[in-house]
Amino acid sequence: MLFLQQLRGELRKLYARPRTWMGYAAFVAMEALILWVYRREGSQRHMRDLIERNNLEFGDFYSSLTITFTIMLLSMFLLGSVFFALVAGDIVAKENEDGNLRLVFARPVSRLRLLLIKYGAVCIYTFSFVFFVGVTGYLMAVMAVGWKGGLFVLEPRMKVFAAYPEWLEGASRLALSAAGIGISMITLSSMAFMFSCLKIKPAAATILTLTILFVDMILQGFPFFKPYETWFITWRMSAWVFLMEPHLSWPKLIESYAFLIGLNLTFLTLGWAAFQSRDFKT
Amino acid sequence: MLEVHGLRKSFGGRPALDGVSFKIAPGEIFGLLGHNGAGKSTTLGIILGMVYPDAGDVTVDGVSVRAHRGRALRKVGAIFESPAFYEYLSGWENLRLLMGYSGGFDPAAARATVEMVGLSDRIRSKVRTYSHGMRQRLALAQALLPEPEVMLLDEPTDGLDPEGIKWFRDFILTLRRERGMTVLFNSHLLAEVEQMCDRVAILREGKLVFEGAIGGLQDDAQMFEADFEPWQAAARVVAAHGGELSSDGKVRLPNGLDPAAVVDALVAAGIRIRALAPVRRSLEDLYMELRRDPAKH
Repeated sequence: MLFLQQLRGELRKLYARPRTWMGYAAFVAMEALILWVYRREGSQRHMRDLIERNNLEFGDFYSSLTITFTIMLLSMFLLGSVFFALVAGDIVAKENEDGNLRLVFARPVSRLRLLLIKYGAVCIYTFSFVFFVGVTGYLMAVMAVGWKGGLFVLEPRMKVFAAYPEWLEGASRLALSAAGIGISMITLSSMAFMFSCLKIKPAAATILTLTILFVDMILQGFPFFKPYETWFITWRMSAWVFLMEPHLSWPKLIESYAFLIGLNLTFLTLGWAAFQSRDFKT
Repeated sequence: MLEVHGLRKSFGGRPALDGVSFKIAPGEIFGLLGHNGAGKSTTLGIILGMVYPDAGDVTVDGVSVRAHRGRALRKVGAIFESPAFYEYLSGWENLRLLMGYSGGFDPAAARATVEMVGLSDRIRSKVRTYSHGMRQRLALAQALLPEPEVMLLDEPTDGLDPEGIKWFRDFILTLRRERGMTVLFNSHLLAEVEQMCDRVAILREGKLVFEGAIGGLQDDAQMFEADFEPWQAAARVVAAHGGELSSDGKVRLPNGLDPAAVVDALVAAGIRIRALAPVRRSLEDLYMELRRDPAKH
């Protein structure tokens, strides 16, 4: 009960900071931009080619669900990662830099408990942000093309193709994939959180995280690393796309999410070890 | 109530504390004096469990901070110089948040405490709009809310105006009188410590160079700044009264001697007195004395 009260306080603090809302504003702006481009004749022609090449009716699948999927697929890794790294990289390091931690350390709260509260807040932020992007993306897409239509999924890199003509089935898969993205992105937040626990500036924690993410992503794209692609963090983070497959491959999903959960626990443990052993000089 | 046993701490090989020990009795106001870098804040950091000592321990009411930090700090409140609150939250929200880490927030108790420190009018405003004095009042409120028996004050009056300093001093003295609170007061201002503390310890380069009653620091001599002519004749008259006139214009007279008697003797000897003003000894003076003659204290 007390833990929940402390977690609520941490979330209140997190959401009271203007920079926490930067990500939300950036995504709404980007979603509006994507929709505007989507409505252009050129991009519609491209979508039509893509859908009709797969023997599907363009009218059935040029829909709010398909647009929402595209928004989440394209934007979450590149833009979302920046905000997750920024917020999680700040959560400990910024408070230490600003001196807020001194007041907290004057309280009879253990360092482990303090970290778990902060980590819980980071996970909730990450998860809710992904759903925010999904919901706002969908609502904006509904305003642009209406609510009807199925879901068309094509992700060549992960070799996933699916088409759900029924709205309900498509929407369910989209919601499931949002949960998958949320868990995937928690890995990125966990990494930034770990760096935030070290004796470094908040900006350094953010930059280190993004550097590792982008290096991982670039290396994964090299053709001669193809046999080792499953060892890359970003490949595992993309496993949410498998939730879109018509027949869910549970072994593949469990393997990837076990890998990610293992990474998260490792990052949390390393962060705690660093935080626990540090002196916080006044 | 608070015992510090043989604290040692080095940062990057440089010793910050070297075998510091002292005890504070219940209801006592204890001053920890020292220049910046003397080790005062490190001592406070160790008491609060923010800094791990290389050796030694601190106990609060018999509970070890190293072994049972949570239990030991349950009855401790702390105020820092320039307390860093969450600027984007209101004073009230800051109290709610911080009290969440002390076992829970009681709005009625918080209202009473805020009223007591005189911050009721602005408690709902964002902290970023607060003056330094208001921040210190909020710091006092957050420290008092867990109903502490021990209060740690780390240079709390730095940056306050004279009125604010007086208010703060009176408030702490009232707390001691009415609640029997034990106080550790960190400062580099001797005058401030003199007005509040029963006993003091002086830290110099991480070592405890003095521990005792505040009177013990001041009882041995009276100091004046003087300008006499002729100087050498004046020095002889001062020496005849058991005093000392140094080349930097400082007159040191034995305690208990009426300075008027020395002035009369100087006038009678035909010495012109251009200036003679009492001076309070600075921490630096005390250090120099302690270095010259540690046995004196």
